[in-house]
Amino acid sequence: MPESSYIPWIIKYRPKSLSDYVDQEEAKTILLNWLKAWDRGSPTKKAVLLYGPPGVGKTSLVEAISKEMNCEVIETNASDFRRREDIEKRIKPAATKMSLSGKKRLILIDEVDGLSGTADKGGIETMLELTSITKHPIIMTANNPFHPDLKPLRDASLLIELKKLNQRDVVKLLKGICEKEKIFCEDEALKIIHTKNEGDLRASINDLQNLGLSFGKVTASLVNELIYYRDREVNPFDTLRNIFTSKYAWQSKLAVSHSQVDIDTLIEWLSENIPVQLTEPEDMYLAFQALSRADIYRGRMKRTQNYDLLTYISEMVGPAISLSRKKTKFKWIKYEFPKKIRMMSETKKARESLNKAAAKIAKVTHCSRETVKSEYIPMLRALYKVNKTLATQIMEGLKLEDDEIRVIVGKSKESTENTEPSSTGPMNAEESLRKFETSTKKMGTRARKKRSQ
Amino acid sequence: MSSPDMHLLWAEKYRPKSLDDIVNQEDIVVRLKKFVEEKNVPHMLFTGPPGTGKTTAALAFAHDLYGESYQQYILEMNASDERGIDDIRTKVKEFARARVVGSVPFKLIILDEADNMTSDAQQALRRMMENFTATSRFILIANYGSKIIEPIQSRAALFRFVPLSKELVVQRLKWIASKEEVEYDERALEVIYEICEGDLRRAINLLQSSSAIGKVTVDAVYKVMGLAHPKEIREMVENALEGKFDVARERLRKLMIEYGLSGVDIIKQVHREIFSPEIQLSEEQRVLIADYTGEILYRMVEGADDEIQMSSFLAWLVLLGRRTSQE
Repeated sequence: MPESSYIPWIIKYRPKSLSDYVDQEEAKTILLNWLKAWDRGSPTKKAVLLYGPPGVGKTSLVEAISKEMNCEVIETNASDFRRREDIEKRIKPAATKMSLSGKKRLILIDEVDGLSGTADKGGIETMLELTSITKHPIIMTANNPFHPDLKPLRDASLLIELKKLNQRDVVKLLKGICEKEKIFCEDEALKIIHTKNEGDLRASINDLQNLGLSFGKVTASLVNELIYYRDREVNPFDTLRNIFTSKYAWQSKLAVSHSQVDIDTLIEWLSENIPVQLTEPEDMYLAFQALSRADIYRGRMKRTQNYDLLTYISEMVGPAISLSRKKTKFKWIKYEFPKKIRMMSETKKARESLNKAAAKIAKVTHCSRETVKSEYIPMLRALYKVNKTLATQIMEGLKLEDDEIRVIVGKSKESTENTEPSSTGPMNAEESLRKFETSTKKMGTRARKKRSQ
Repeated sequence: MSSPDMHLLWAEKYRPKSLDDIVNQEDIVVRLKKFVEEKNVPHMLFTGPPGTGKTTAALAFAHDLYGESYQQYILEMNASDERGIDDIRTKVKEFARARVVGSVPFKLIILDEADNMTSDAQQALRRMMENFTATSRFILIANYGSKIIEPIQSRAALFRFVPLSKELVVQRLKWIASKEEVEYDERALEVIYEICEGDLRRAINLLQSSSAIGKVTVDAVYKVMGLAHPKEIREMVENALEGKFDVARERLRKLMIEYGLSGVDIIKQVHREIFSPEIQLSEEQRVLIADYTGEILYRMVEGADDEIQMSSFLAWLVLLGRRTSQE
């Protein structure tokens, strides 16, 4: 078959049956049992959310099982439009009607974590409705099922996790492919492919095909030379953990360079979590010194527009902080979302009012807004405490609006409620993720603006 | 009346309108009056600490030069509030474009807090000063003359404002108190001077807020001082020294976000607080902290982030507290 080399191996070697499908025993069992339950009438949860990192076989598992059970599969994935209308037109009839042939039917909604935003307007709501009225099993897949938007779907579904594939299984599978393709391979090379792809089977097979077809053999030296670690962006929780646990400078630098959030945001995350992780005062002090140095370089970089300084910022943020942990034992802790970013968004209105007031007073007093904030506003606040009538009279005379007066005298509901130390307990993971996502978007645009200036 | 009533703030109500009303800085006033007479002015640079009359002198000079409707001949800007040199350039261009009618052949551009501009921005400003000389004169106002680049200094007539003497401050406060029919203890006015030193604006503000209680007494002055300056600053320092970093930082954030104070304001007040007898510190600690507040202040002025720097300061305080408690 000369044309076989043009078929991507990941298609060619997709599992044809459940017995071809390696690993993920637990997930397989749960999924099979759930599907069998449908024979006795519909189970309490009519949908499954199959989740795990890319390339561990989510879609393949559904395909293998459907072949095994002889089902027809109705499928959509992220490349299809999945607005309310699309789902109602395409999926809903398939889900709510019995098939004419009497064959079992499976509804596969691939990549539901892509099912958000404006392009798929109403998609999640419609899917949710579908999970309650469906007459056929619905299987959804996702990389990150913990996206806040997916919460309702998550609650309505049975969650099944697929784990990263272990080395033994991946090597065995790759070896099998090599045998079939008549390509020489070294076991060591296959192991490195697995490691570099962090258990992503799809990526491993792709790498194998690239090398195998180009060189006719797969050796350790080729793999070492030609296969790169795939650039994966790492969320701030893991980035922080990587920084705090790094023993070598290069490890820590790698952690910083793989950070999903930009360096400004990472600095905020570190500032929030240094005291949580490094509980020994000496270590905390050293880490804050490093962060302070990073911040100084950042200030200089912004002022001089000299982007060569970026590397020094990363080195202070990464290795210098990693090496600050001298006495504190590493503890597995839940990192907190930067409260500053949260407080900034919560007090946005109050700050705007304060700035408006400061601008008005600055005009009248021929001062800068800074001076007004440090001089006149404290004065008015004090005045208000000893003589409300007079203070109000003055502030009204300055043509301050109600919201501005409230924030000056410290009665702004928004700001007082939220900044009490007692109310700033840890947020739950979802809330923080949501805030994190909106804030990183904002910070991203801010950073871009700065750069373009 | 739709414009804001500035007469409710004494510092504005009693701001001298004309050079004749200015009680201090005689040398400066004499020279400025001469410029008024000649209807000719060089670019000028006013330097000196806050509250010594720099802005007042600039406004009074404009008043005397152009008459009551002087506002239309001047452009007043504050370098700390303008977003960048481009904003300033646009405003100056627009303002300077039209030729002036009247007996004075130029307009006046007053740029306050010019020492907050970066040296690049000052270079651009220097070119502006040259380009617009035909139609405009600049009065640059700065706390620190040393932060103004030399080419500007050499192109401008320099006026150094000095802090007001105790006699002058007290005398002015008395005069205002009598105009406002406010009773006062002599000692209270001295205390106001001690707190504000030669900063007349702060002194007048403090007089006004103290008088809101009734008679201006020493107690009243301290009371409003305490109310004006958030107690969180001292508590923040104390919390950090006790090793409670989280609580200290919570207060820091409250000060910055809720009170709108800048890191510079906060660290300056920390510096003031640590020499107060009310805060429990050894003499060595006071000196150590003073030194370090200076370092943090410098970092922030240099362009570092307020909150990160203040957090690192608090972490340092935690360590200092720990080490002294172990000794």
